[in-house]
Amino acid sequence: MEDKSIIQVRGLCKSFGKLQVLNDISTDFQEKKVVSIIGPSGGGKSTFLRCLNLLEMPTSGSIVFDGVDLCSSDTDINAQRQKIGMVFQHFNLFSNMNVMRNLTIAPMRIRKKSQEEAEEMAMGFLRRMGLEDKADSYPSQLSGGQKQRIAIVRSLMMEPEVMLFDEPTSALDPEMIGEVLDVIKQLALEGMTMIIVTHEMRFAREVSDRILFLDGGRIDEDRGADEFFDDPHSPRLISFLKKVL
Amino acid sequence: MGFFEQIAVILQRYYPYFLDGVKNTLIIAAMSVVLGVVFGTLMAIMRMCRIKPLKWLAAAYIEFVRGTPLMVQLMFIFYGLPMVGIEFPDVSWIPNFSRFMAGIVAMSMNSCAYVAEVIRSGIQAVDEGQMEAARSIGFRYGESMRLVILPQAVKNILPALGNEFVTVIKESSIVSVIGISDLMYGTNGVIALTYRSLPCLAIAACIYFVLTFLSSRLIAYLEKRMKHGR
Repeated sequence: MEDKSIIQVRGLCKSFGKLQVLNDISTDFQEKKVVSIIGPSGGGKSTFLRCLNLLEMPTSGSIVFDGVDLCSSDTDINAQRQKIGMVFQHFNLFSNMNVMRNLTIAPMRIRKKSQEEAEEMAMGFLRRMGLEDKADSYPSQLSGGQKQRIAIVRSLMMEPEVMLFDEPTSALDPEMIGEVLDVIKQLALEGMTMIIVTHEMRFAREVSDRILFLDGGRIDEDRGADEFFDDPHSPRLISFLKKVL
Repeated sequence: MGFFEQIAVILQRYYPYFLDGVKNTLIIAAMSVVLGVVFGTLMAIMRMCRIKPLKWLAAAYIEFVRGTPLMVQLMFIFYGLPMVGIEFPDVSWIPNFSRFMAGIVAMSMNSCAYVAEVIRSGIQAVDEGQMEAARSIGFRYGESMRLVILPQAVKNILPALGNEFVTVIKESSIVSVIGISDLMYGTNGVIALTYRSLPCLAIAACIYFVLTFLSSRLIAYLEKRMKHGR
């Protein structure tokens, strides 16, 4: 059975002034699949991911999410973003709100959930993460790993169809990387559609169905996770893997 | 008669001049800051908005006002505007209303430019990631501003606004040159009556200092309380 494609990217280009960061990218993302994007710094990975929920406006090309063209001017991008969860390198928890408020504000204001309902759902997530005692803490009182797990829960609270991860462990101390990766792996097992920009090669191989190698603004390699590492074709990927593995 | 005795005598005889001056100085400073904050907020919004002509207009205004002396602006409004037919009306039950108006308008137009910069930098000091997170979770721009950015920006802005109030109290001494009876004007009056400029100026300086010192202590206290209440 053919997997259902949820995001179709066609001819995506993005320039910042004269600098072309993405150059004619076309690919599909399937439902319930995990795709990792790796590549050298400055290769356009983050920009590509940020284009997928229009944090960056593409210069040209189209992104169709769930049958809706995101770049079209009559698309309500806010409504679409509610279905696309985003996790940032620097967590970006709302620092003026405690953990519980961080988690419940969007479901209550956007999904019109009652406070009890939202808080019950939030407590459920926090309990699963072993963070239920942090509900009243402010972000500044949490460790990096805790912040990132809360940030993941904040996205999950909106029951997204896709989750985007922009280098979720790059700003963490080494001993905290594991706890965040475990949460992402758990999500993968539950069948969440995910696109992950990461530098964690072992993790990428373990969790991904497919891996893209993005270099110089192009997709240089696009393979299943195991072949990607065991049988790379692109000469640039081969030299990249030599350096990082 | 020693210096401090002179001060005592002057205060004893002429204290109503100083009191009246303090009252007017505080009225002008308070009005100017309130109007300055209201219009400064509008100016900051214009400065940051996406409509290019509005943005340029605000930027030009802010740069111009901050780049010219308050004295010139005050003269321009009090002496210059009536020459092109713009006059402030007189109100019978408030003495010197048109002078007061000119003073307050000049002070608040000046303060407005500084306040606009305070607000803009306070908002821009909030980490960009906060806006990105709010937008990517599905909040509109306005909601993101209201729920996430502004509550954080206020903590940067309020202390700086307090400093602006202190500055305005001091700068307002300049309105005496157009004949508004503020503290400086009152002081000059007493000097003219007593020919004792040094003790009079010392009194004025002390009063200004007490006003600004009390204000800045009050602001520091409010700031501290705000930190505790997050």
